[in-house]
Amino acid sequence: MRFRASRASRQAYSRRRFRLSQSLANRLTIGFAIGFAVLTGLAVIGVARFIQQRQDFEDATARSYQSEIQARNRLSQGRNPVAARATILAQQRRRQSLRDEISNQTRDTALLVGAGLIAGLTGAALLFNGLISSMRRPLEDLVAASERLAAGDLDARVEVGGLSETASLGRAFNEMAEELQRRTGERDQLDRMKDEFVLTASHELRSPLTSVQGFAELLMMERDNLTPEQAETVEVILDNSRHLVRLLNDLLDLARSDAGQLRIEPEPTEVETLVEDAERAMRSQIEARGQTLSEKIEPGLPTVSADRDRIRQIMVNLLTNANEYCPEGAAIRVKATRVDAEVEIAVIDDGPGIPRDQLAHIFERFSRGDAGLTQRVGGTGLGLAISKSLVELHGGTIAAQSTPGEGSTFGFRLPAIGSPNPTEADRSGAQA
Amino acid sequence: MMAKILVADDSATILLLLRTRLEMEGHEVETASDGQGVLDALSAGGPQPDLLLLDAMMPRISGIDALRQLRAAGVETPALIVSAHQDKMDAGPPDDLGIGGYVSKPVDFEALFARIAELTSG
Repeated sequence: MRFRASRASRQAYSRRRFRLSQSLANRLTIGFAIGFAVLTGLAVIGVARFIQQRQDFEDATARSYQSEIQARNRLSQGRNPVAARATILAQQRRRQSLRDEISNQTRDTALLVGAGLIAGLTGAALLFNGLISSMRRPLEDLVAASERLAAGDLDARVEVGGLSETASLGRAFNEMAEELQRRTGERDQLDRMKDEFVLTASHELRSPLTSVQGFAELLMMERDNLTPEQAETVEVILDNSRHLVRLLNDLLDLARSDAGQLRIEPEPTEVETLVEDAERAMRSQIEARGQTLSEKIEPGLPTVSADRDRIRQIMVNLLTNANEYCPEGAAIRVKATRVDAEVEIAVIDDGPGIPRDQLAHIFERFSRGDAGLTQRVGGTGLGLAISKSLVELHGGTIAAQSTPGEGSTFGFRLPAIGSPNPTEADRSGAQA
Repeated sequence: MMAKILVADDSATILLLLRTRLEMEGHEVETASDGQGVLDALSAGGPQPDLLLLDAMMPRISGIDALRQLRAAGVETPALIVSAHQDKMDAGPPDDLGIGGYVSKPVDFEALFARIAELTSG
């Protein structure tokens, strides 16, 4: 079946090719043949006429010389000298008129051939112009429709007509646009189904998870009545249910981001507040690994436009990465500085760093550090992708720098909205 | 401070969890398995609860619908809405139903206890 189908399509293709070669190519061939025949005919006729006229001229000139020589002989013999002198004079005049005649004839022939050439070339030019203009309109329509299609107007179609090539081009374009529209519709529907599925799944999984985590917490409250093995088991249940919750939250954020429904509620916020929020959430976890956490906030920073919960989510994500990927004893620093009309908050560590090839994809989904570390590290692989979406929703940017063996810096910038310090305000006013 | 709390959720295990944790905190807990149960409990007479803790999504009458009917009947009891959704933006405040706050699942009990104390202290 497949073979037959492919043969049928091959035949259709070769038929189409045959039709193509019949129309434009044949018109051109016929045009060239006619033009070539006309021009060749003109040239042959012109050359033949020129040769004939030249021949006649030379014959007549030779006869004239002969008559003159005979007359000169008669003159030298003294026979009828008056008549002989008259003949010599007449023959000289005749040759002069023959020369005038041949030059006129040559000019006429040249004019005839030249006029023919001009007529032939003009005809050819008109033929080409006709062919080109009959192709131009449909091609212009195709270009315009392609541009509309590329700009997202999936209703763009062209009128099918004109030469068979432009007609089949138009048909092919319309079929393609039809297919594109159908597939785009299917894809949009699939996207909506996916978003709905993630929302529903997240909702349905959350209730049982609430029970698991809630009862595990209840058990932990009775820790004193548990054996060490039992307590450890309950810890495992708690750790894993928390991890599942993180994963669910991340998936939900991503689904919202894809659907354009990830929203923030930014308010004027002090940078110190944002840094303190994050440090409060992360300090014990970082110090539990024997790592240090310090901050350096440039004095007189302007307030920024920030959704406090979401910025905490971003910073907790960056600090968690530093905490988990750096060895024990590492130094983690948070640094806030002003950069033009923005404030940059950076999380800097002196850990193992990130190889260049991984750094290039670090903000992509499920992009994670090297496999050996990943086994130990409990992230979801979604945190940086979500952080990037969130920073961009704030109108900011996020970037990563790293030197393997020396450490990594993850910095994001938020737009500054005001300045608590008048000199700072003056400076930003002067810059603007 | 001890409060009388009416908890409604269609999941028996969640009800058990909420009841256990709230009772451990010293609160008095009454339960309902859907919105109708909430309406029945409040119209039965007897001592009224100090606080309602309602699941947003329940079969038949949801927590939101039950609260809407109660508010229409002039019941001003403070209410907290429990939602499986991650944050309040999904549930969306439907009207001004005097909702005292949203509790997302899984429940952060420390935050819940703090909010209950705020709502029942006055």
